[in-house]
Amino acid sequence: MQSTIKTIARAHDPALFTRADFDQAESERIGVSNYSYWRSTLRTFFRSKLVILLVALMAAILLMSFLYPMISRIDPTKVSTRSRNWNLRPSWEHPFGTDTLGRDIFARAWYGCRNSFLLAFCIALSDVGIGMIAGAVWGYNRKLDPFMIELYNIMTNIPSTVYLVLLAYIMNTSYLTLFISMASRGWIVEARFFRNRILSIRDAEYNIASRCLGTPMLRIATRNIIPQIISLIIMEAALCIPYSIGSEVFLGFVGVGMPVDAITLGNMVNQGRASFTLHPYQMLLPTAVLCLITVAFYIIGNRFADASDPRNHL
Amino acid sequence: MNEHKGPLLLSAKDVVIKFNLRGQELTAIRGASLDVYQGETVAIVGESGSGKSVFTKSFIGMLDQNGRVESGSLLFHGEDMTKYSAEAQWLKVRGKKIAMVFQDPMTSLNPVRVIGEQIAEVIMWHFHKSHDEAKKETVELLRKVGIEDPEQRYRQYPGEFSGGMRQRAVIACAIACRPEILICDEPTTALDVTVQAQVLNLIKDLQREMKMSVVFITHDLGVVANVADWVAVMYAGKIIEYGEAGEIFHQPEHPYTKALLRSLPQLGVKGHDLYAIQGTPPSLFKEIRGDAFAPRNMDAMKIDFEEEPPAFSVSPTHWAKTWLLAPEAEAYRQDLARRDAEASSAQTPSAPFDYGKAEPLLSVKNLSVHFKLGSSRVKAVDGVSFDIYKGETLSLVGESGSGKTTIGRAVMSIYSGNVEGGIYFKGRKINQKLSKKDRGKLRMEMQMIFQDPMASLNDRAKVDYIISEGLYNFHLFENEGDRLAKVEKMLREVGLTSDFMTRFPHEFSGGQRQRIGIARSLIMNPDFVVADEPISALDVSIRAQVINLLNRLKQERGLTYLFIAHDLSAVRFISDRIAVIYRGRLVELAACEELFSRPLHPYTKALLSAAPYPDPDVEKNKVIHIYRPEAGDAATAREWIEAFPFHFVLATREEAEEYRRENN
Repeated sequence: MQSTIKTIARAHDPALFTRADFDQAESERIGVSNYSYWRSTLRTFFRSKLVILLVALMAAILLMSFLYPMISRIDPTKVSTRSRNWNLRPSWEHPFGTDTLGRDIFARAWYGCRNSFLLAFCIALSDVGIGMIAGAVWGYNRKLDPFMIELYNIMTNIPSTVYLVLLAYIMNTSYLTLFISMASRGWIVEARFFRNRILSIRDAEYNIASRCLGTPMLRIATRNIIPQIISLIIMEAALCIPYSIGSEVFLGFVGVGMPVDAITLGNMVNQGRASFTLHPYQMLLPTAVLCLITVAFYIIGNRFADASDPRNHL
Repeated sequence: MNEHKGPLLLSAKDVVIKFNLRGQELTAIRGASLDVYQGETVAIVGESGSGKSVFTKSFIGMLDQNGRVESGSLLFHGEDMTKYSAEAQWLKVRGKKIAMVFQDPMTSLNPVRVIGEQIAEVIMWHFHKSHDEAKKETVELLRKVGIEDPEQRYRQYPGEFSGGMRQRAVIACAIACRPEILICDEPTTALDVTVQAQVLNLIKDLQREMKMSVVFITHDLGVVANVADWVAVMYAGKIIEYGEAGEIFHQPEHPYTKALLRSLPQLGVKGHDLYAIQGTPPSLFKEIRGDAFAPRNMDAMKIDFEEEPPAFSVSPTHWAKTWLLAPEAEAYRQDLARRDAEASSAQTPSAPFDYGKAEPLLSVKNLSVHFKLGSSRVKAVDGVSFDIYKGETLSLVGESGSGKTTIGRAVMSIYSGNVEGGIYFKGRKINQKLSKKDRGKLRMEMQMIFQDPMASLNDRAKVDYIISEGLYNFHLFENEGDRLAKVEKMLREVGLTSDFMTRFPHEFSGGQRQRIGIARSLIMNPDFVVADEPISALDVSIRAQVINLLNRLKQERGLTYLFIAHDLSAVRFISDRIAVIYRGRLVELAACEELFSRPLHPYTKALLSAAPYPDPDVEKNKVIHIYRPEAGDAATAREWIEAFPFHFVLATREEAEEYRRENN
């Protein structure tokens, strides 16, 4: 260590070797950590170029699918009686071509997107919303455990198809039927997910502190719990959307989906399937849109889940 | 002249380590140098964020991805390791020549593989031995680190080991390759005091036997006094003082080292403020000018803010980076020494708490708390009874899992249904169904301060809301202006300014967060406060601040504390009486000085002997008592006996007689 000891070459002003004033505020000043949960989450989320591209694309598709029906004059249900308008290949006039009844597939695709999105949003809202409330009640009442776990087992162990087909048979096919049949099952999966999360933060010291202060349950939920799991709520909702759209297509495929005249992505894919060998574009183009939407939402949801984990905040 | 025992092994010179953190550059190590000689223990002391872990991690090339060694050199046997580019080069050193033991043993062990195989694997990998040979060697190693019945233990999973045993296994793993240097990064911080003492002894024995060098990182000066030959004090990414352990403890020169040693609660005089270091450690994001400690140093000189002090040597083995040692500062230095001497001679301890007139505020009668663990029932607290008198501080001391926190939470009515016995506050039973109004009143009268300042504040709420939470719940304010005024007053009382109100908790340091937590509880104007290890998660330099604050508030507001702690050394300064708890049962209860001068129960003796004391001379000669409880019914046959006036102990009648005989 001798080598590190330097001799002072130049003399210092003796006035410097007197008492300096003590500044309390200066001593308390810390390196204010520049960490903010949301800023870091968003930064991590948008670090990937793919995510930026997909989010922009989804925003554009969403916007378009709600604007198109308002600005376009093409009627997606208009059937042509003239056979030369049937099964047209994609062209400038009909970017996605026409189907066997001469309806414009491009226009139908936007209407379908809108309807499928609306259905998916409703399902996501009810699944995550009901699931969260049920999960919170479940997480706070351990007595519910035996009942809820059995309910969860029963509902998730019956293959969803059987269940959905049954429900769809009982009721007439409509948006409402589809909504009920999907929403009646999805919430319990979400409830269990949120129950586990809430269980892990329920006994965190700050929640116990709130209980010691006599904070009512409702305020603990709105001020302590929900802000902690809001990123999970967003993630679950994002992942619910592709799942709902996919289920709708599947139900259409087994024949218990929407009524034939409803324009949804599921119906379009199924109708295109009939003429797939002759006119493959009638199925492939709606399917491509469908794939793009579901894959994009899955990736966005998963990337957001990663980004919202503080361990990934660098 | 070389005052070291062996040749130089590792020499770190002017190491600068930088991290990229969320777009900003942080200089964690600002030019630190350290030499490690064969067969010696050098302890690096510093608070969290001082860079002691980062510095030693760079010795084995294990910096996090966003960090890098910017400049300086790391010479190991003359080879500069900063030049290493490939992982393969590091692999020749890491684990084999320089091994590391971390704080939490669970992070270094694979929970789904048996312990023996994990160690054997290291031997097979590094020495290319057959599985049978490696296994034989592993059993030998386990025996060496003091694990009984190593053949059996070989086949067990980490989950079947206790915390201390796990750390022993990790040490066995680290010394499997007979490293030349063993880096111990706070290896005992997560352990109980009694286990800590044993693990420290193990490390010392192994070092002597294997002629290893040990680099010991810790924030606990008591531990340093126990293990270190040499001490390096680190502050804000620099080593500011270095010397032999005795020199650092008996003749510290840097103001930071001096302040650290003076602020230890072990050295406090009852009834007086502890010497406390002001403020919080500096930000390493900004460039630090002059002496990094100057803003917190009450006696800083003007030059400390202007220019960084060079290392001045005190003796051939001791140097410090402080301007106080410059010849120009001689006059100022003498002035300081004179004032220190005056200040320390003036203090006489205050009179002990008078129990003659005291009335009990809280009575706990035969309290039991059980938890369901799967199908079995675990009794966390078993028939505990004690009174707390108005105005006193009763400390509850025990190791982790002893049920001390459970008692605190039961008193605060956090549990429901699993509490048996009676808790009486101001003469009324409170562990029963109370009307909403009564419960609310109770919530105002009893408050709790929590252990972990990081976990006890909701980090999605602003400080303003956190502190006013209780006010909102009981509408303890007239209007918005009144509420803000109350919050502001409370903040001032805990030494924070009102502009902190609009910030989020993550913008504060640990000590500041703990003070916010204290403000949150005390704004309710309670009579009684449960303080659940309020200082154990804090840095050494911050602890004294919080202890002083708690003491001051107690005097100003006439508070009564139930103080929960795991370490006897820290509670001596604050408590009037101490209760020692072991596995859910109280084993001894006595007035503070009485307990220290006349411990009766063997567990209390073990705790007292294990608590590290910050003086190398004391530590080197201490004898550790190990408490081995007898199994079975013998423990339950004991009763709560007053062996001496106001000195209770859990013992059989014969034992109590013996205690009386021994101590008279």
